[in-house]
Amino acid sequence: MLTRKIASVFSALALSAALLLTGCGGVPENTVHSVTDLEGKMIGVQLGTTGDTLAGDIKGATVEKYNKAADGVQALKLGKIDAVIVDLETAKAFVEKNDDIQILDEEFADEEYAIAIKLDNTALQSEINGALAALESDGTLRNIKKNYEGDEKGQHPYEVKTDVDRSRGTLVMATNAEFPPYEERQGDQIVGFDVDMMNTVCDYLGYELQIEDMAFDSVIPAVQSGKADVGVAGLSVTPDREKNVLFSDNYAVTHQVIIVRK
Amino acid sequence: MNFIESFRQNFIEADRWKYLADGLGTTLLITLLAVTIGMLLGFFVAVIRATYLRTGRFRIADWFCRLYLTVIRGTPVVVQLLIIYFVIFASVPISKTFVAVIAFGINSGAYVAEIVRGGIMAIDTGQLEAGRSLGLNYSRTMIYIILPQALKNVLPALANEAIVLLKETSVAGYIAIADLTKGGDIIRSQTFSAFLPLLAVAVIYLVMVVVLTKLVGLLEGRLAANDRR
Repeated sequence: MLTRKIASVFSALALSAALLLTGCGGVPENTVHSVTDLEGKMIGVQLGTTGDTLAGDIKGATVEKYNKAADGVQALKLGKIDAVIVDLETAKAFVEKNDDIQILDEEFADEEYAIAIKLDNTALQSEINGALAALESDGTLRNIKKNYEGDEKGQHPYEVKTDVDRSRGTLVMATNAEFPPYEERQGDQIVGFDVDMMNTVCDYLGYELQIEDMAFDSVIPAVQSGKADVGVAGLSVTPDREKNVLFSDNYAVTHQVIIVRK
Repeated sequence: MNFIESFRQNFIEADRWKYLADGLGTTLLITLLAVTIGMLLGFFVAVIRATYLRTGRFRIADWFCRLYLTVIRGTPVVVQLLIIYFVIFASVPISKTFVAVIAFGINSGAYVAEIVRGGIMAIDTGQLEAGRSLGLNYSRTMIYIILPQALKNVLPALANEAIVLLKETSVAGYIAIADLTKGGDIIRSQTFSAFLPLLAVAVIYLVMVVVLTKLVGLLEGRLAANDRR
């Protein structure tokens, strides 16, 4: 008797779990159409990004700090939050893969991406700046850029040179491979604009590039503590960060945008 | 940067200590509720399993319990948390703290169940037979004779489970819950210094565990009082 009762309780539980799994209840309508609409809303960001800082300044908004921007986008699609603030190119990569979200036209101020270097390592800073300038003027960097945006996407892959003397040793690059198109995982490889750029820099300077993937908010501490020589992770130059690391000349200009549901 | 300056930057400036204080509150709330759920669930499952093994009753319920134990103990708690947040409660507007309480509670329940079952099985069957021959029915024998003795024996293991659970809640940050660990991470992401925020978080966990251990020790002493006759 009791056995059957307990069994029926269990099957009722299993049934309701199954019902929940199929997901009853729809995703709420989008309510964010401009920057001012963000006030008092739930905003998803990736912890420690400039989007995180921007969202913190919005009046009455609840900022949900995810470990990955992609988790924020997922929560947005499910209706758990109202908007995600993220860098333009990354936003484009997300929108390309998800047809139920869009980028708002309104944008935040321009930001510059640069390579982070340990505060006292001015020698490496000037070496890298020299390399960036040379690679910019001979068109190498422009070619890489074309590989990641515009009509010729994927047509200019950078091949790491094999005939380079790498006797200067290893250059360790800290990054967060969750940030397409700048860096993302493809199979067991970390690929993206930042990776290609650092490969050209290392080919030019004669280093062996070694990539260390880590949480975004660990990239700058890794550079500070010397665990990595450079931090290249779509890092925007901000006054706070400049107090803690040196930055190279900027290699890209971007801005934060808002992603919402369609 | 000297220690005092670094301390000021990490905790005083912009009221950053509040991340830790709020995070501590969240961690305690999640742990407390999850331990409660885990204990209730664990005892329930343990009694069903032990009854089946001793008497052969509750065969179907026992099968469900074993399924529960296999699934929960066979998968990492982070994965369970993400499944509950992103899959099971996908389109249900629900508080994330609640999601965490459910996830950690269900997870802990599986471990508690096997601890308590071990405790019940360790009580001599003579105790059950004695209870029954005195006219108590099975459930009364279980509640008044077996479980009190079993509980006393498994208390250290249960305390251990609670300690593990307290520290395991540190993965709640995966679903953007601002718990104690995430509080430290937020400070780290703003000040870019690793040493003090991590040290502070570690010390707070340690203090909580020491206090918890002390409390359980007191309880054990109380329960052991009638042993020394």
